[in-house]
Amino acid sequence: MASVDLNLVDEILRTRPPEPRHLLALLQEIQARFRYLPKEAMLAVAGYLDVPLARVFSVAGFYKALSLTPKGERLVTVCQGTACHLRGASGLVGALEKRLGIGLGQTSADGRYGLESVNCLGACALAPVATVDGTVHGHLSPSKALELV
Amino acid sequence: MGKDTKKVSGTIDGRETSVPRGSILLRAALDLGIGVPTLCHHPGLPPDGNCRLCSAETGGRLVASCLYPLRDDGFVVQTRSPLVVEARRFVLGLLLSRAPADGYLLGLAGEYGAKADPRLADGADGCVRCGRCLRACRAAGSEAIALVGRGWGRKVAGPFYEPPIDCVGCLACAQACPTGAIAFSEEPRSIWGRDFGLARCGSCGAILGTPGELARSGVEVTLCPSCRRREYSRAVASLPPAQS
Repeated sequence: MASVDLNLVDEILRTRPPEPRHLLALLQEIQARFRYLPKEAMLAVAGYLDVPLARVFSVAGFYKALSLTPKGERLVTVCQGTACHLRGASGLVGALEKRLGIGLGQTSADGRYGLESVNCLGACALAPVATVDGTVHGHLSPSKALELV
Repeated sequence: MGKDTKKVSGTIDGRETSVPRGSILLRAALDLGIGVPTLCHHPGLPPDGNCRLCSAETGGRLVASCLYPLRDDGFVVQTRSPLVVEARRFVLGLLLSRAPADGYLLGLAGEYGAKADPRLADGADGCVRCGRCLRACRAAGSEAIALVGRGWGRKVAGPFYEPPIDCVGCLACAQACPTGAIAFSEEPRSIWGRDFGLARCGSCGAILGTPGELARSGVEVTLCPSCRRREYSRAVASLPPAQS
């Protein structure tokens, strides 16, 4: 694994005063910059906020928005809500899994793509729906889904 | 904070009682001699309301009696109503699914007719996720372990699922665990995948604790309590007689 840029971690830490209440905000910011929470960064957060490491890890493992392993550079999220399910979301997932060579919740070996499912994006009229880095793509077919990656 | 000395009155299982406002329901029930089953409750630790075994009915809804403060006059509480018994049976089934061999839970399960859910059998690791170990760890002065993860995968672990670096080996967590789910060895001392040295009484060699545990207490100890008493009485006996 590439070494972690501790200067960047330090820079993130200094954006907040060293108070335990900033734990989640700091973890979110680290997640946004590194696309996961490196162990070294969690150790730094615990030291900076004077919060037990066990609590830092507990918070890091609780939220789905925080990841302990690197997420892909681009995140593909396939909706699996009822409408999308009926209109063939599983076909989209199958095609994307085959193309990227990974399963749901995994990151491709080159680190470029992450594939996830979501229970509903609230865009049922566009079903089946997927997002790429937050941009919504509707009325997808398996072949159209493959054009996204 | 000023002391609230006002009393509130009501009934628990039909028995009238009057307690200081804000009293915890579980305490009030036990003081009346009404037995309420508990699991995650420990009198020396802050309540957490995790196991729901102590559920009671008041105002038509279930409350965790270990957390519920009696604030208003005229409270009416049932600790054995059909609603409570049914909830307790359900909860016991879930707890048993995690700890199917626990004698205390099996006893209660017999009483309430609860059974472990066979669909949950792969989660039967003995730990009911009540968090008593975490609270004991924190109360003892460390916070080495935590509940990590969510839902079915949630479990007690050290940071990064590794042996906890902040653990001093005091075994408070294992002692607090209601189901005996934490593996440990008293001597030689090991727990959570870590080994610890032991400090011994300089006179009789009895175990004083781990060095980390003694350091955490902030008091320098070199003798066990009984040797310390003996040394002290010797010192007193050898004092010159008091001048009168």
